[in-house]
Formats: sequence, C-alpha cells, structure tokens
Amino acid sequence: MLELIDITKKYKQTKAVKNMNMYIEKGEIVGLLGPNGAGKSTAISILSSLLEPTSGDVKFENKSMIKNPKSLRQIVGIVPQEIALYEDLSAEENMKFFGRIYRLKGKTLKNKISEVLEQIGLTDRRKDIVKTFSGGMKRRLNIGVAMLHDPEILIMDEPTVGIDPQSRNYILQTVKRLNKDRQMTVLYTSHYMEEVEYLCDRIYIMDKGNLIASGTKDEIKQILASENTISLKADHWNERFITNLRENPQIHQMKVDGNEIVLVVSKDVNIFSKLAHLAEEANVQLRAVDVKQVTLEDVFLHLTGRALRD
Amino acid sequence: MIFQMIKKQFLQFLRNPVEILLLIGLPIILITILGNALGNLIDGGEVDLTFKLALIEHEDEALQVENFVTELGSGDLPDEVITEIAAIAESLAPIETFKEVLHSEELNDMIIVEEAYARELDAIKADDSYATIIEFPKNFSADVLENILLDGEMNPEVIIHYKAGSEIAGNIIQQIVTMYQEEYTLGTFLGNNGIDPQQLQKMGTESKQEVSSASLHEPVSAKAYYTIGMIVMNVLFMATTIAQYAFRERQSHIFNRMIIADFSRWVYFIGILLNALIFAWIQALFVYIFAYFAFDVIWPNLPDFLIVTCFFTLAVGGLAVLLTAISFRSNSEQIISFFSGVVVTIFAFLGGSFFPSGTGSFLQKLGDYTPNGAAMSAYLSILRGETIADNIDHLVFIACFAIGAIIIGVISYPKRGAAS
Ligand SMILES: Nc1ncnc2c1ncn2[C@@H]1O[C@H](COP(=O)(O)OP(=O)(O)O)[C@@H](O)[C@H]1O
Ligand SMILES: [Mg+2]
Repeated sequence: MLELIDITKKYKQTKAVKNMNMYIEKGEIVGLLGPNGAGKSTAISILSSLLEPTSGDVKFENKSMIKNPKSLRQIVGIVPQEIALYEDLSAEENMKFFGRIYRLKGKTLKNKISEVLEQIGLTDRRKDIVKTFSGGMKRRLNIGVAMLHDPEILIMDEPTVGIDPQSRNYILQTVKRLNKDRQMTVLYTSHYMEEVEYLCDRIYIMDKGNLIASGTKDEIKQILASENTISLKADHWNERFITNLRENPQIHQMKVDGNEIVLVVSKDVNIFSKLAHLAEEANVQLRAVDVKQVTLEDVFLHLTGRALRD
Repeated sequence: MIFQMIKKQFLQFLRNPVEILLLIGLPIILITILGNALGNLIDGGEVDLTFKLALIEHEDEALQVENFVTELGSGDLPDEVITEIAAIAESLAPIETFKEVLHSEELNDMIIVEEAYARELDAIKADDSYATIIEFPKNFSADVLENILLDGEMNPEVIIHYKAGSEIAGNIIQQIVTMYQEEYTLGTFLGNNGIDPQQLQKMGTESKQEVSSASLHEPVSAKAYYTIGMIVMNVLFMATTIAQYAFRERQSHIFNRMIIADFSRWVYFIGILLNALIFAWIQALFVYIFAYFAFDVIWPNLPDFLIVTCFFTLAVGGLAVLLTAISFRSNSEQIISFFSGVVVTIFAFLGGSFFPSGTGSFLQKLGDYTPNGAAMSAYLSILRGETIADNIDHLVFIACFAIGAIIIGVISYPKRGAAS
C-alpha cells in the first residue's frame, strides 16, 4: 500500500539515500535496519511526506504523494527518533495538544487519550510533567502521541534508543500487540538487529544510503547459506594470529570483539584443522570453536565488512 | 488550532517561573535601579536635590533706595524727573525681586532660602547644611539702580559661594543669577527706552509659543521614563523567547509532528505571530500595571496608550516570525542569540531606553527608526498629554517595521520539503 520508488535524497555534500526501493503491505511489520547515518531517518521522512526527495516517487495506494500528501498524512502515525514532546506539559496535556492538532475533539479525544494511555502503560502518570519522566516513559509517550488518530500505518524511527531493557521489552510487546490485535501496519527502524529480528516479517538493510539487502528473515539469511559463521574464543590473541587470519583467503570476514573472534568462511572448506594449525603456529590457546547460527548481524558483517554497531 | 498553540505557550510559561522572572521581573528591577540612579539627569530633583541657601545682604535695600533717592535730590535734575525716578527705583528693588524669584513656585521646592546677617557669614561657611551662600555686597542695590536709571558705569556683582560637593546646587544658583541679571537688565533697558517689553515678545511670537506650549505638558518622571524605556526594550525579548520556543519545537521534531498531522505551516506561522503579540501584551501590561501602583506612572489617555501598545506588540510579533523563519531556514539558533544578545542592546541604546538622547538630536532621530525607539517616543508623548494624532509618524513607522518583518519572514520561511 505504501512504496518508495527509486528514491534519492541529496544534501549538500552527502547523498543520504541512493536509488532506494521499498514497499510496505497492509498488516506487515517491516524492519529497516542499518547503522547510524545509514539514511534510515531520511528514508522515513520521505516516506511520511516530511521531506521531498531529490528524485523518485512515493506512492500510497498507487497515487503519488509527492505533491499532495493529504490522504497519506491522515492514515500515518509517526514516532520520531527524537522525543517530540513538550517537556513542560503533562502527558495528558501533550496528548490533548496533538489530538487537537489532529482535529479530534471532546469526548472522542478524551476516550482516545485514556485508551492510548492504557496501551502505553502511563495511565497513572497522566497528570505528571513529561520532564519528570524516565527515558523509557518518554519513549512510550512519544509512541502514544502518534497513535491518537488511529493511524493505519505506524512509522517508528528507532523508538528504543537509550532506554532500559524493561521499557524496551514493553515497547516491543506493544508493537507486536498493536499489529496482532488491530492489524496495524508498522515500519520499524532500528540499528538493533535483535529487535528487527524479533518483530519483523520483512526486513530492509541499509548502509551508507544504499539498500544492501531485503526480504524475509530467512531470505536474508540465505545470503549466508554458502558460508559459515565461526566463533573462536581464547584468553588473549596476538598480532601474528590475527594477521594470519586476515591474510587467509578462505576467511571472508572477521571481527575481533574482546576475547571472541567471529569469522565468516566458505561452507565447503574444512577450516577447522586450518584454524587449529594457525593457532598452534601463533602460539594461541583456543578455548572454544563454535559454528554459529546465522544472525542479521552476520549478514550485515558479510555485506559490509563492518559490524552494525561500531 | 491556533488557540492550542497559545494555550500550550501559556502552559509553558507557567511552568517556567525563571522565564517569567526574566521577562517581567527584570524590567521592574531595572526601572527601579535606573529610575533612582539616573533619575536626577531627567527630573532635576525627583531624587533629593533640595538644598539650603543662605542669603546675606550687607546693607538694607530699603535704606539704599532711600539714599539713592536722596542723592538724586542733591543733583541738578528737575523735580518731576526726580519723583519719577524715585518711584521707579522703589518698584525695581533688585534684591527683593531676586528673592521673589527664589521663592517662585518652581524653585520653592528645591531651594530653602534663609536670610542671614553679614556677621553670621563665617558661621554659615562652616555649617555644612548650607550648600550655597549668596552675598549682596554693600551698595549693591544703589549701584544697580544707578546703572540702570542713570546709565552709571558701575558693575555690581553678586558673590556666590558653594561648598565642595554641592557643585550642582552652585551651578543652579549661578544659572538663576545669570538669568535674573539678563532679564533684569534687558527688561529695564527696554522699559528705559520706552519700548514695551510685551511688544517685543509679540514680535518673537512664533518661537516663543512653541517653547511655552511644550512646557505646558506634564513633565515625565524618571521612573516613568524608565518604565517605558525598559518595557519597550524587554518586550523585544518576548520576540526572541517565542522564536526560541519555536526553534526548539523544530529541533525536537514537534513541528514535524504538526506538519505530519496536516497542520498548515502557515497556520503555525500565524500562531507564532499571535503568540508573540499576545504575550508581549501581557508582559507589557504587567509591568505597566506594576508601574502604575509602584511608580505612579499614570496614563492620561488610556485608549491612546493602548493603541501604541497594539502597534508595538504587532512589531514584536513580526520580529518573532522573522527570527523563527530565519532560524528554521538556517537550522540554527544563532540569529536568535544574536538578536537577543546584540541587536536588542543596540536598539535599546538608540531608542533611548537607557538615557534620554535629547529632543531633536541625531541619536534620537536614529532611535525613532527602531521599533522600540519609535514606540518609546510615542509613549512618552502620550504620557506628556499629547495624543495619537501627534504620533502618527511613529505609528506608521512601527506598522511598516512589523509588515516588513512579516514579509521577510514569509520569504525566508522554509517551504515544504526543505531539510528537517
Ligand atoms: N538535514 C541534513 N543535512 C545534511 N545532511 C544530512 C541531513 N540529515 C541527514 N544528513 C546526512 O544524511 C545521512 C543519513 O542520515 P540519517 O537519515 O539521519 O541516518 P540514520 O537515521 O540512518 O542514522 C547522514 O550522513 C547524515 O549526516
Ligand atoms: Mg536516524
């Protein structure tokens, strides 16, 4: 129902989004995954009619939204990456304000506010000033405000940044629940692959303005079907071992993370004896060697040579 | 919709007492400080400027006049002339006239005159409660009379003493004496030559009347002056405050939220204008009401006062949208900080908020081309008892400024699709 067609957005020096194609169907939870600066927020702003693309088109129900986004605006709810709330107003005052901006009135607005407060678990804090809220509570209210007008599509830009695990779980559950109970369509942006992996049916992965992969979770993981991810553990590494690994043509990607090294290697190679040999040569005591389940993180590592979160 | 913006702004102010204190408390504090510290520059006496003056005659005037007349008799003048001159001499009585000047209504409040004997001079000189002493030397009146009536060559002088630290009082007395001497000699000279002084005044009617019509009006007290000065200055901060709130709305993406809700960006623009206008009104009114009770700043013509306030707050609204638009476009708060940190000070200085720049001076003319300066001139004029009709030029300027600011604001306001 909502599509980005060959969207490019140029800022003065940077191309934030390059020839991006994307679609969202009714009832889906779509994930947009990418590290900071990948262009996720830019893509979302274009999708929600806040930003005009340099080229390309945004279509909602097959109609272009570039010139007249009115019909789109009525059904879209946006949760900005920033806490877009009045810190000096109470939760309820904020909701009233934004509800009125959405032309809701009187009893309808009142009921809607109570309903949303219930959903985001802030009913007993409704009278409190937002300034006094914890990060998680602000994030929840940030989401709540976007749901007042009963949007069909909820676009969420990194809604869990900088909050405690409980609030994060609460938010993830809420998104799942909204999708299940009310068939709310969700576009969920994040640089946490676990979130996207947990929530989303289909996933787009972005890096440096490019869409580098898209599809269902399984489809994306298929990218690594011909490869294995191997985890090595030891008390400490030495330069020689790492250089040896790096120079080995059978190892496609590697990431050193404390006393763990993650390697992406071709599946058909029997790498284990090779690794053991290299370790012995460099005098490294390996504690464990595991073949890992493929994660989106690995896919990202495979595609870009970098970790999602550097 | 716009009402929501106003309501939310009101709530935000309510929850930020520091902001309120800065916008309303600061001008009140400044009025008090400046009104007291710089007050005497304007009032010439609102702050205690009264001083004690000792007046010493070394010889009784009546006696001198009597002697003068007797001496005339001993001369070779015809009897009719002698009686005529004697009559004039008695009516002239220079020292008596000078005392009348000192006791006149304008000076009575400021100068406490005490007449003393010549033998007390040393004691008075030692007494610090006297700021100045005037001595009329022996034969003073007689010499004056001779000078005027008989074309004498005498040059009688009044001796003025003033004490260290009483320079202002000394200065005032010096001026009074000079003025008195000039009037005295001129008036008598004219009378002497058969020219009616009234006649001369008529000849110079035009310039004289202007002066006298200006002095017909109520003088403006220092507190009133600074009430206006500080209000027109501090109300400019309402424009920057509102622009700052708007910029924060944009930074925090609240503005985007409103756009996504299909809230017209132009309605938002008008909302900013109205917010600045309304809260500038409230701010100004608060301080004016406070000044009414605390500093006796009473407006002789309320509707005219309100009209000036309307125009000025419209200019503040214009400034607010201009600053908002530029900060949105440049995606930076710099313009707002620059305005509140530098431009307001320059405007306030030019507009005469800190000290009066003198009627007709270059600085004042320049100041009238700032919104606050023009408003200040209009306010002062209305406080003095003039009307809106006398201030059309100021109001026209303020209106032009407001409209100009709004137009530039509209032009620089980013259109849809600009970077967020
Ligand atoms: N208004 C802007 N002006 C210039 N460059 C921008 C602007 N907004 C974003 N960018 C640049 O575009 C790129 C993508 O940014 P963004 O879409 O915010 O990424 P993400 O949301 O994935 O972190 C970044 O390099 C960023 O610096
Ligand atoms: Mg972002």
